[in-house]
Amino acid sequence: VSAPRWTIALIRRLAPPGRAEDVQGDLEEAHGRRRAERSPFVADLLTGIEALELCLALLVERARAGRTGQAGESSWPRVSWLDFKLGFRMLVRYPGLTLVGGLALAFAIWVGAGTFEFLSLIVSPRLPLDEGDRIVAVRNWDISVNRAESRALHDFVAWREALATVDDLGAYRDLERNLIVEEGRAEPIRLAEISASAFRVARVSPFMGRAIIEEDEHAAAPAVIVIGYEVWRSRFGEDPFVVGRTVRVGIEPHTVVGVMPEGFEFPRAHDAWTPLRLNPLDYARREGPGIQIFGRLARGVSLADVQAELNLLGQRATADFPRTHEHLRPQVMHYPRSFYYTLSGWYALALMSSNLLVLLLLALIGANVALLMFARAATRESEIIVRSALGASRSRIIAQLFAEALVLGALAAMVGLAGVKFGLTWALAIAETEFMDGGGRLPFWFTSRLSPATLLYTALLTVLGAAIAGVLPALKVTRGIGARLKQASAGSGGLRFGGVWTAVIVIQVALTVTFPAVSFFLRRDIVQMRDYDVGFADEEFVSVRLELDRQAAAFATSDTSRAAFLQHFAVTTQELERRLAALPAVTAVTFTDELPRTYHGWNQIELDEGAVPPRDSIYGHRVAATSIDPDYFDVLEAPILAGRGFHAGDQISDARVVIVNQPFVKQVLGGLNPIGRRLRYVAGESARSYDPGPWYEIVGVVGDHGTTSGYGRAGFYHPLPSGGTHPIYMAIHVRGDAASFAPRLRATALAMDPALRLENVVPLDEVANAGIRTAEFWLALLAGLTAIVLILSLAGIYAAMSFAVSRRTREIGIRVALGADPRRVALAIFRRPLTQVGLGILAGTALVALMIGGLDADDLQPAQAGMIAAYALLMTVVCLLACIVPTRRALRIQPTDALRHDG
Amino acid sequence: LPFSLRFPPFLFLFSHIVTQKRAIPDSLAEFELLVMLAALRLGADEAYTVSIADDITERTGRRVRRANVYTTVQRLEAKGLVSTRLGEPRPERGGRPRRLVVVEPEGMAAVRATTTAINAMVGGLGGIIGEAG
Repeated sequence: VSAPRWTIALIRRLAPPGRAEDVQGDLEEAHGRRRAERSPFVADLLTGIEALELCLALLVERARAGRTGQAGESSWPRVSWLDFKLGFRMLVRYPGLTLVGGLALAFAIWVGAGTFEFLSLIVSPRLPLDEGDRIVAVRNWDISVNRAESRALHDFVAWREALATVDDLGAYRDLERNLIVEEGRAEPIRLAEISASAFRVARVSPFMGRAIIEEDEHAAAPAVIVIGYEVWRSRFGEDPFVVGRTVRVGIEPHTVVGVMPEGFEFPRAHDAWTPLRLNPLDYARREGPGIQIFGRLARGVSLADVQAELNLLGQRATADFPRTHEHLRPQVMHYPRSFYYTLSGWYALALMSSNLLVLLLLALIGANVALLMFARAATRESEIIVRSALGASRSRIIAQLFAEALVLGALAAMVGLAGVKFGLTWALAIAETEFMDGGGRLPFWFTSRLSPATLLYTALLTVLGAAIAGVLPALKVTRGIGARLKQASAGSGGLRFGGVWTAVIVIQVALTVTFPAVSFFLRRDIVQMRDYDVGFADEEFVSVRLELDRQAAAFATSDTSRAAFLQHFAVTTQELERRLAALPAVTAVTFTDELPRTYHGWNQIELDEGAVPPRDSIYGHRVAATSIDPDYFDVLEAPILAGRGFHAGDQISDARVVIVNQPFVKQVLGGLNPIGRRLRYVAGESARSYDPGPWYEIVGVVGDHGTTSGYGRAGFYHPLPSGGTHPIYMAIHVRGDAASFAPRLRATALAMDPALRLENVVPLDEVANAGIRTAEFWLALLAGLTAIVLILSLAGIYAAMSFAVSRRTREIGIRVALGADPRRVALAIFRRPLTQVGLGILAGTALVALMIGGLDADDLQPAQAGMIAAYALLMTVVCLLACIVPTRRALRIQPTDALRHDG
Repeated sequence: LPFSLRFPPFLFLFSHIVTQKRAIPDSLAEFELLVMLAALRLGADEAYTVSIADDITERTGRRVRRANVYTTVQRLEAKGLVSTRLGEPRPERGGRPRRLVVVEPEGMAAVRATTTAINAMVGGLGGIIGEAG
């Protein structure tokens, strides 16, 4: 009856020299007793636990002994300065390896540290303000619907009076308004109506003038505005006398009283601030506008203290106002947390665990660098054996190789970190265009400044990378070194690439084959997106999104209903259309709710009859849908190919007619005549309807004019409803340069209604540029990865081949001397590496073929098959190129050289 | 002024050496004392990790981890209070020997100093803390 084998193995590995025997004996004895008393399973379990305890104790003891240097010789390898010096020398001596390995590690560290910092920004954001971690948000949470209740004016006033644990409690609400500096220039800004205390909470003083003060909050006080640095720079031309100037915010005049310093965007991403003048007496409880509440933790107070106080206040409110406050629970949290729904617990963990994927990349790249380091270590085998003979222990040699890798890794980390800031700025810009609607900005705490945690993480990555790249080959090279020491001919064949290395090479080559293909497909998509022919002269159009302040509309019509607002908006936009059409530079104007080239969202539809079976039976027919002005196609000068266009009568709600495009006819109807058939919605991303909706009759067919749904270009058009829709896109056909028309467009709109906001004024052929930029970001990342994989892989193949030749120089020479055909000798030597490369190419090609198959399942044409074959051939040639130099070297070996060669 | 005071690093080093010297134990931590007493009771031919742990458990009723005994013996050995030697291979231990613990004279002195100190402190407190044992 013996203790479990793994426990013995563990102890033998960890026990200090000469101590393994008796510790193992203790374990065996204890195990024997347990077996006498308990079941085998329980005994094994308990012995296992004891073994782990013993190991822990051994490790602790070892560490202590190592620290105090008391308890004799520690068997941990020590790394000395000499090792690092030697490491630097090696960098210079092998510049190729330094360059290739260093670049690869730098890339891995760049991606790793960048990802970590980016995820940390989301999961544990830090406010870049003085003691920013003490700024908190307070809100009501409605437990009956599980959502924040922001209509909390009454509670805000009550909390401001009562809360002792939070200083300077304040509130704000978002407003979007035109800022009109002088007549003729109106551009939207992001405005915060905010309490004066905000500037104390942020602890930032104005750069010029003053901040908002409590007196400004009175309803009778003059209207004032504090502007941000960026607004001051771009809209006021850095006017040193800006304080005191009068500007219009929407329709109301305001006096500029101060300018905030650069980078100040509290509370989220705001350009300017006006005093919050909401009076709770104007509204009932849980009514009125939504506000966000913030403050600073009082000295010596924790979040839990605030929550405790809030709980009391909440209970009192529930008792006093059961009708409105029965389900409301006040909450306090770190300020940035209030902007995310569930960024805690498992979700945050899941998000942070994407770092593991990146770690995998580091491991892969580290393994590749290890391959190169191994080849180098192998050429230094005699040096290592001599050192060993002179008394260096195995761990000393491993420590030396680790130190060499660490030097390389540290250099790579420096390069990588320098790149992280650049990459992060880029990624944040992309995130802004991707995740923030309509030109919105990320909250101000998303900066590309590196956190200490990221620096620490980078250090960890470096050590990990060095451990993989340095220790792995060192273990391999030093295995059985004692035995090799005793052999007469040092190192003639002790070292070989084993199974693990074979796998590394095969995977490597497969990736080398796959990555360029993936990059190629992404690049093709980008080119397609950029060169998308929308079938009309879109460069002659200017597009703009029109929005209107709800408040201003209510002011104009004295009716606060949504229908009245939409009606007022429709009248306003039609008036703008009329005025623009009167300009000599304008040919025509039209409206749509989705611009060509932009992502429309998909809708699943079905036809009453005649539809071909969808390519994917689960997804059904997914197409894009958009609503347009009846004269849309006339303005675009796009012909109606069959049937008829829309006329004004189609806009009434029970007309139910649609026009489809040519890709729709091809994809859904297989090219049959669509006129007179009917379609209806089954499901949709844009949630037009989830139940099968009413039938719509197809009355016309047009060409492909840029409807994109993510499922191809098939799409159809509704007439815009006569009741109006908000917001809406306007497309203006102009004579001459579309880009230079923007100022006149703004001037015309301002002269008509200062409350009408013009967002995203761009030429129509540039509306998709943000999406293209995002794709280009991924392409650049992928291209970097591809380059690294390619270089590493070719260097790896080269190293492996050179290694094979150098190992067998003597053998080759003797064989050639005995009359063997040099080509056959070379083939015999390279059979193994060539097989590995061949296997890799096969696996990679299969992957690429799968990808192409996945892209276009039914039409894998002979041309594409040919392309794959040609590509595989190309990659084979590229890989073989890496073999040429070692092969030539092998064939040039003279028998005399071989005999002189020592190993 | 002496050189060491003008040059703080030396001062630091000096104080370090002094405290190191003073750190040579003249008394034992509680568990160290228990291990020493058990080793004394079991004698040089029977005291080893397993028997020491058993003895402490039997007498004090507290559960003792052999890992703790092991590290404590190592520490005592490093301090020169005990020495160890390998015994004969034994069948119930899978043919492995025991590492037998021998209490050195310095160890004996340390045990004496510690127990004397404890007795001196306990003296006269019987009425308050109750009779031991």
